[in-house]
Amino acid sequence: MPAKFDHNDSSVVVIIGSGAGGGTLAHELARKGISVVVLEAGKRVEMTEFQNDEVAMFALFTWQDPRTATGSWSVAKTSPDLPVWTCKLVGGTTVHWGACALRFQDHEFKPRTRYGAIAGANLMDWPVDLKEMEPYYDRAEDMMGVTGTHGIPPLPVSNHGKVLFAGAKKLGYTKYQVTNMAINSLPRDGRASCQQTGFCVQGCTFGAKWSTLYVDIPRAEATGKAEIRPECQALRIEHDASGKVTAVVYADRTGALQRQKARIVAVAGNAIESPRLLLNSSSSLFPHGLANSSGQVGRNYMRHTTGAVFAVFEKPVHMYRGTAQSGIVMDEARLDTRRGFVGGYQMELLPQGLPSFAQTIIPGGWGRDRAWILDHYANAAGLWVIGEDMPRETNRITLHPEKKDRFGMPIPNIHSDDHPNDVAMRNHGYQQGESLYKSIGALKTVRVSPYPSTHNMGTNRMSEKPRDGVVNQFGQAHDVKNLFVSDGSQFPSSGGENPTLTIVALTLRQAEYIADQMARGEI
Amino acid sequence: MKRTLESGQVTRRGFLVGGAATIVTVAVSGVTLLADPARNWAVELPSFTPDQARVLLQFVRDLFPHARLVETFYAEAIAPLHDEAAKDPATRELLASGIAQLNTLAHAPAGKSYADVTDEKARVAAIRQIEGGAFFAKVYGATLTPLYNQRKVWPLFGYEGPSSALGGYLHRGFNDLDWL
Repeated sequence: MPAKFDHNDSSVVVIIGSGAGGGTLAHELARKGISVVVLEAGKRVEMTEFQNDEVAMFALFTWQDPRTATGSWSVAKTSPDLPVWTCKLVGGTTVHWGACALRFQDHEFKPRTRYGAIAGANLMDWPVDLKEMEPYYDRAEDMMGVTGTHGIPPLPVSNHGKVLFAGAKKLGYTKYQVTNMAINSLPRDGRASCQQTGFCVQGCTFGAKWSTLYVDIPRAEATGKAEIRPECQALRIEHDASGKVTAVVYADRTGALQRQKARIVAVAGNAIESPRLLLNSSSSLFPHGLANSSGQVGRNYMRHTTGAVFAVFEKPVHMYRGTAQSGIVMDEARLDTRRGFVGGYQMELLPQGLPSFAQTIIPGGWGRDRAWILDHYANAAGLWVIGEDMPRETNRITLHPEKKDRFGMPIPNIHSDDHPNDVAMRNHGYQQGESLYKSIGALKTVRVSPYPSTHNMGTNRMSEKPRDGVVNQFGQAHDVKNLFVSDGSQFPSSGGENPTLTIVALTLRQAEYIADQMARGEI
Repeated sequence: MKRTLESGQVTRRGFLVGGAATIVTVAVSGVTLLADPARNWAVELPSFTPDQARVLLQFVRDLFPHARLVETFYAEAIAPLHDEAAKDPATRELLASGIAQLNTLAHAPAGKSYADVTDEKARVAAIRQIEGGAFFAKVYGATLTPLYNQRKVWPLFGYEGPSSALGGYLHRGFNDLDWL
């Protein structure tokens, strides 16, 4: 049964956000008998409200509060009002994620050592490495039911996957397969198996896809130690004279301000909202933002180097049928600087329904050439290039100097400029993607510029030394020992893999650390 | 807004009764209708003159020219834009001046409009001159999704859409591709 805690109960851990980081942390701590209050800005939507409808679900899930974008990144031009696509509901982005569950590679934890000094990039090794992360990846995969691990069979190959694999083979690639997916290929853990609906991103109507919305959150509540407060947006974290955090001020569903006292605060609002909240919690003790003595809060914003290639064939593909992102080509994920860039990228299936395809195939495009592509929608196939982008101090989240949201909180501005390494990688990915599809007879290929960012990372990065980052290897703020960051903003680098599995693995590790530190009376 | 011509009963936009190969713009009691009398279908656009409605219709078709789509789908696509114009004088003014500009740029003969210019190249050349402007951005942004998000449009592009109620695509062709 869900717990109910008093606003003055200062024994609780307050978690801000309920996605991959916050939802997982709530479950892990509650399981260990620790009281948690989860503040979630969005609504609590039930699985029964999911529809196979791209436009309606976009409206239901998306964080649409105003944000602004600056910098030379193409998204600032193609989608200035929605530069990132994150979610605002219980479960966060685990409701709409594609469920690719890939581990980072060893070298991706050591970019500074392995790539060397790169001009214009703020490269830093992680304070953890793959070997230390392996047991947590292992537990995360088991908990999420990742196919291809723990004896769970892979999902079957869809039409869209067949096209990708045929092109990969023709091009001489060898590392193509059905992706490790946090989507049940067989019934498991009380959840159904995938029915190939094709609407993973609109919320899985069968619950085959792992999401904290219907896995971790209800289980956290069932312990009797967790209370989820939807439609409660955190505005400010307060601290005492010693610099320990003491409470979170938030606006509830009526807009009224509340103050929840806390023993520990964990911020898990994603790499845009988490630094926004810390920056908005500045005080005389922390004049540049809470836990920001390093000056790194909000900096090193990463979004993956992305781009898409779509191809039109003579015969039907029906890319919308089946598990959305189930095919992957991993040959370009290696580190090989002969290609003209450091880091690597994956090529992942990227199907779209007709409404999304029409919106994004040529941003701002019109006329007969564009119409021809849409006329061949049934014969189209597409892949997404997703690779490591360079952390840059100047790519950052800041508080807008004038614009405020409905609660009077400054809105975030997202500034990003591509690093030359990002541009070289994207162009390589475009060329390889086009070659892949042309090798099996594509009539036409189209390069699509990056979409609003779904993988947002780096803005409260972890570091060994306090001067280099915001949190330590457990996500604990260097400056404030009872403040934690529990989302992708901890990442010092982006790797070339979808971030969710790594967020969950880091969170499992963090939960152990928090419980241990609490037991020792350290926090 | 939509109403059936026979009954005169006004209903909000709902399910299309049918597609029309050609539709007419008429003013009934001073209210502009895009109508397909043969199929008992109409979209009511009281904020536009019949000429303005015809220009908008042709403009949106030129932006998104699909031979397979009959006029009623384009009429449905501009209906939300009309609703916005009905509420907001600034939008109405933006559309009116944009339409007038299109007429000029397409070199429509005196008394005729952009919609009467039969040379597609001339219409496309006119659009190129307004691309990037506020009128173009407004019409483009307001009509794209309403055009392609119509359930009756989907099968015409081979999109089968929702699958959950049918058990997904697991037994409905998710892996039936055999031409590779």
